[in-house]
Amino acid sequence: MKVPLVVNGERVAVEARPDEMLLGVLRREFGLLSVRETCGIGVCGACTVLVDGEPVSACLLLTPLAAGRDITTVESLGGDHPVQRAFVEAEAFQCGYCTPGMILTAKRLLEEMPEPSEEEIKTYLGGNLCRCGCYVKIIEAVKLAAAESYPLREVSGT
Amino acid sequence: MSDPRVTGELRYSQDIELEGMLHARILRSPHPHARISRVDASAVPEDVVVLVPHDVRDLGYYGCQIKDQTVLAQEKVRYAGDPVAAVAATTPERAEEALDLIEVDYEELPAVFDAAEAAADGPLVHEEIKLSENDAAYFGLRPQQGTNVCHRFRIRHGDIESGFGEADVVVEETYFTAGAQHAPMEPHAALARWEGDGLEVWTGSQTPFNTRMDLAGIFGIPEEKVRIVCPPMGGSFGAKTFVRLEAIAACLARKAERPTKIVLDRDEEWLTLNRHPATLKVKLGAKRDGTLVAKRVECWANTGAYADCGPGVAQKMGFASPGPYRIPNVWVDSHAVYTNLPPNGAYRGYGQMQCTWASERTIDLLAEKLEMDPLELRLKNILKDGDRYCTGEIMHDVHFAELLQRAADAVRWNENRHGKGLCVMLKGMQTPSRASIAVEASDNGNYTVLCATAEMGQGARKAIRLMAAELLGVEVEKVGFPDPDTDAVPYDTRTTSSRSTHMMGRALEKAVEDLRKNGRRGYGEVVDEGGLDPDTGQGVASSHWHQGAAAAEVEVDKETGRFSVKRLHAPVYAGRVINRPGAELQNEGSMIMGVGTALFESVNFSEGQVSNANLSDYCVPAAGDMPEVLTHELVEGERAEVHGLGETALPPVPPAIGNALHSLGINITGLPITAESVLDAIDRRDEERTRSTLPSQEEPATEGVAGKNGARRTYAVAFGISLGALVVGLLLRSRRIAAAKRLVPRRLAR
Ligand code: FES
Ligand code: FES
Repeated sequence: MKVPLVVNGERVAVEARPDEMLLGVLRREFGLLSVRETCGIGVCGACTVLVDGEPVSACLLLTPLAAGRDITTVESLGGDHPVQRAFVEAEAFQCGYCTPGMILTAKRLLEEMPEPSEEEIKTYLGGNLCRCGCYVKIIEAVKLAAAESYPLREVSGT
Repeated sequence: MSDPRVTGELRYSQDIELEGMLHARILRSPHPHARISRVDASAVPEDVVVLVPHDVRDLGYYGCQIKDQTVLAQEKVRYAGDPVAAVAATTPERAEEALDLIEVDYEELPAVFDAAEAAADGPLVHEEIKLSENDAAYFGLRPQQGTNVCHRFRIRHGDIESGFGEADVVVEETYFTAGAQHAPMEPHAALARWEGDGLEVWTGSQTPFNTRMDLAGIFGIPEEKVRIVCPPMGGSFGAKTFVRLEAIAACLARKAERPTKIVLDRDEEWLTLNRHPATLKVKLGAKRDGTLVAKRVECWANTGAYADCGPGVAQKMGFASPGPYRIPNVWVDSHAVYTNLPPNGAYRGYGQMQCTWASERTIDLLAEKLEMDPLELRLKNILKDGDRYCTGEIMHDVHFAELLQRAADAVRWNENRHGKGLCVMLKGMQTPSRASIAVEASDNGNYTVLCATAEMGQGARKAIRLMAAELLGVEVEKVGFPDPDTDAVPYDTRTTSSRSTHMMGRALEKAVEDLRKNGRRGYGEVVDEGGLDPDTGQGVASSHWHQGAAAAEVEVDKETGRFSVKRLHAPVYAGRVINRPGAELQNEGSMIMGVGTALFESVNFSEGQVSNANLSDYCVPAAGDMPEVLTHELVEGERAEVHGLGETALPPVPPAIGNALHSLGINITGLPITAESVLDAIDRRDEERTRSTLPSQEEPATEGVAGKNGARRTYAVAFGISLGALVVGLLLRSRRIAAAKRLVPRRLAR
């Protein structure tokens, strides 16, 4: 079936099976390889995308349910987004596999809580695993981004 | 320029595609041990390429240390998950569907899962044990033909009988550590293509040259006909070593005459490689004043259905099990044992965590019996510069005492020892080994470093580029480092055992010197000789020792057995630090992985089948699972060598936590330390106390650091156990709840 999607600001109708998860479609049809599978069951957050600004596990989102919603992947942030800059500054990654998901979740966290406590960061990032164990520096990065007076609520599509 | 990791632009092996590429899937045995009586793939549609055991029967055996593997199981399967057939189709979905159309009949055979049992007797997993010619079989292998023991390593140092004869106090204990899954975020992925009679493989691998050697052996072609390219890995931790999927991908590609890629499903990771479950029996004797006089250790490393590098793991487990102490009489027998579990292999530390757990827990048992401070007991016996280790090696550049003291200071050991535990460790590096590297200059002032060191997130590339830039006197941006490609880079043993920065760093110095002489291209090589006699354990175990320590502080809820790690500190000897954030990340990552090992990671089996092969039932640490305070130190030495740091801070973590519990009288022997096992240990302690002393007075419900006052224990034990399980379950699942909240995106749900 043809599904109309809005991906990183672009409106495209793509071919997808009705039972297909958004993760595979974003990788295959859009070449958005920052969206990655690890667990496939909504536990790890490697496949995180923002749907109307909210972090969602793309491995569990049926493509037709994403129709018409605003889908954002890390590719659209350009590289100079404050959260990306903070991750680079804190070296909050090793292999980098979890990083796009972490960045998108952190972006939303800072929109909801501009000055999160360490506990709040740990809880909010609970659905994003980093097997390399970079959490100490990831938390640092989120604090750094927060300190950079992160602009409030820049949710697209609202 | 931003980092490709934050822009999502970094490409891993799973992302590589070639024109006309097929996608492969593997059919696996459901039985742990069975004879294959029939394989029928006639129902598979013609446009799907099928590989059955018959197709690969003439290909060579492989295996990095023991030649015990075939591309697909021949005649019999040896574990639940053993590949029996494979298919390749235009999409992964079509391949998956085709798997269902293959029929396989099995006759089940008796199976064995426990290593000590399999070593004693039990059905043979392999009838004959053949040695590998791969250069990963770098030490004297001692397979015990006609048994399941594929390697036996021994240390005979001094006289163990008279040693124990001199001892005033002797302690003895048996320990068990569970298997663990590496769970790299990126699964195993390999893409194979044939060009005439030459094979090319793109694979996330720490061992390009070993993989090349084994693949050449399988197909009976010269090594030069095999090209291995290693893109960056999304984590590995030992999982992506030696031949994993590469042989199946290559066979399918040859049959299909098209490039073929395999990306493992998450559950297949548990069927591909795990960490060795191990049983260790330790007996330690000392004089009344705490002087150690004798140590006897027996290790059984459960290597599963195929040896992989299990012999090496058992050997390292064995030679490091005496720990960083002066002990005049040492007797070690370490076995790598076949069972009908999935293969176990290299896992961050390579046998080190298992033996450090057993060894360092025993020190605290001894301290208790001697009524001595565990720190004092350790320091009294600790190896110093110029001391001789039980392998005969003279130790140099030794910092164990300092590391231990730093660990103790971090938890204010001198104030009180309640709820606190320590650990110190010595760890070998792959010896012998060889590293070579080339540096090429180009006209525009840029340089290219050509070496086989693989990047799995550990930051080796950055460290080597930084070292090269420093030696060449240029900006780091001027130094390129392409993906390791066996057609382009000189030989290297492999990217394991935290050896790359150390070995490649030294080779690089030579290469840059050579470049200065020759202008365009410089080449440098270092060879570290050494090795141990497998029957006596004498020789050179390690050309260079990794040294680490840890201290932990815990708080236990005695009603539920639940405990939390309040503080964890790990000082490691870093020598000279090249890339500080990188070194810190390695330490922090090791410690967090150590927390997973200590508290909850365990591959579980039911009749040989993995029963928790997913990331919901198998927990890996999330941000919220970190200790309240997690700190570490990189101890540096003036004009010191570069020391690898990839693994040093992991093995000391579980024993430090176990010893912290021990300080509260909670004696734990198995890993992971579940709330149930803590509750059992509390019961044993309380029973003993009741037996040996007067009725206990009012006790706090929480023990450890805070020592809060609380109600007496009044719940029935059964209630306590279920509550404990519940609370721990809830806590461990906290992140899953967070994840589950995202299942249905809030805004979509409206
Ligand atoms: S792959 Fe989607 S949450 Fe893990
Ligand atoms: S950086 Fe490797 S998984 Fe997070």
